Amino acid sequence: MTVTLANTPVIETERLILRAPKGSDAEASVAFFGTDRSRYMGGPQTRAQAWRSFAGVIGHWVVRGWGLFVVCEKGSDTPLGAVGPWMPEGWTDREIGWSMWDPSVEGKGYAFEAAQAARAYAYGTLGWTTAISYIDPENARSIALAKRMGCTLDDDLPLPDLPDWDGTLVFRHPGPDALA
Amino acid sequence: MTELAIPVLETERLILRGPEPEDYPDFKATFTSYRARFMGGPLNAYESWMLYAAEIGHWAIRGFGMWMIRDRVTDQTYGMAGGWKPAKWPEAEIAWVIWPGAEGRGIALEATNAARRYFYRECGWEGAVSYIDPKNLASIRLAERLGAKLDKAAAGIDGSDAVYRHPGPAALDGTQLAHGIEMEIRHYADPLFRPKGWALD
Repeated sequence: MTVTLANTPVIETERLILRAPKGSDAEASVAFFGTDRSRYMGGPQTRAQAWRSFAGVIGHWVVRGWGLFVVCEKGSDTPLGAVGPWMPEGWTDREIGWSMWDPSVEGKGYAFEAAQAARAYAYGTLGWTTAISYIDPENARSIALAKRMGCTLDDDLPLPDLPDWDGTLVFRHPGPDALA
Repeated sequence: MTELAIPVLETERLILRGPEPEDYPDFKATFTSYRARFMGGPLNAYESWMLYAAEIGHWAIRGFGMWMIRDRVTDQTYGMAGGWKPAKWPEAEIAWVIWPGAEGRGIALEATNAARRYFYRECGWEGAVSYIDPKNLASIRLAERLGAKLDKAAAGIDGSDAVYRHPGPAALDGTQLAHGIEMEIRHYADPLFRPKGWALD
């Protein structure tokens, strides 16, 4: 039996499709979180941990009504990463998150293109008035992406009360008015 | 509204539906408490929320999962029951968790029996196990009432759990075991023998 999310949006950008996650995306996400490339996002994780995390990415949509989009190239349904609004319990603000799973598409600006579209969706459709991104201080690529999106450091926001989160940076996105 | 097309099961007293956002506080109360000690808990708030989301996402990855157990009349939730097979699980499991206030009424038996029947009849399962902490006597007792037997040869999840193997579809098709389970459930719903007053010495 196939059980899929229903009534979820699809976002189209110049080169990408952002769609809701589905069961068949699990392996690509689990593979990414098993490698050292996930070291700034709580990885590397065991297969058991990563599988449950991805199940949680799907369930987030049901609990909140929105969640991370899976990014695909136009004309392909191959999952390349996950980008979008994210706020599990314990988060201190609404986040725009991103992780590109497939190293073969790095350097094309896909994360930037997808994150911009996801942020516009959060501001436009979901009505968010602000957003943040939590980033590991050693994750230079993500910091560069946040800056490219116009984010600035927010030293005042408390961090989620979770192990190993000390020192995590909070980048605050420009609000909808500043981007209009 | 975003939703998953999770099937609905009905029994005499219960309705089993997919977990919904408003059910989360009851789940959290159990999984952040000592009551979750046999299920990997107690969890912190983040872990509990992510596990709840994962219970829902499990349906999308596997095509089956855990239902929320509800009262047919009041819609109150009593716990969860269903199928569970995250990564690392050697076999598909029949799993359950009952909120503390709902114990002692045969609710877990009624829900797990319905879930198992659904997996056998509608999903083609030919068997199932339950992975149970050996100190979790209430769950071991439920596994035994469901006809499951300790399988010492079967692989567990991490070596600290007991594997109870459920009877297969044939052993539950019109057999004495199946009738016995139905009778016990019926007795909870409508007791045959009620005490007529207090015993006084």
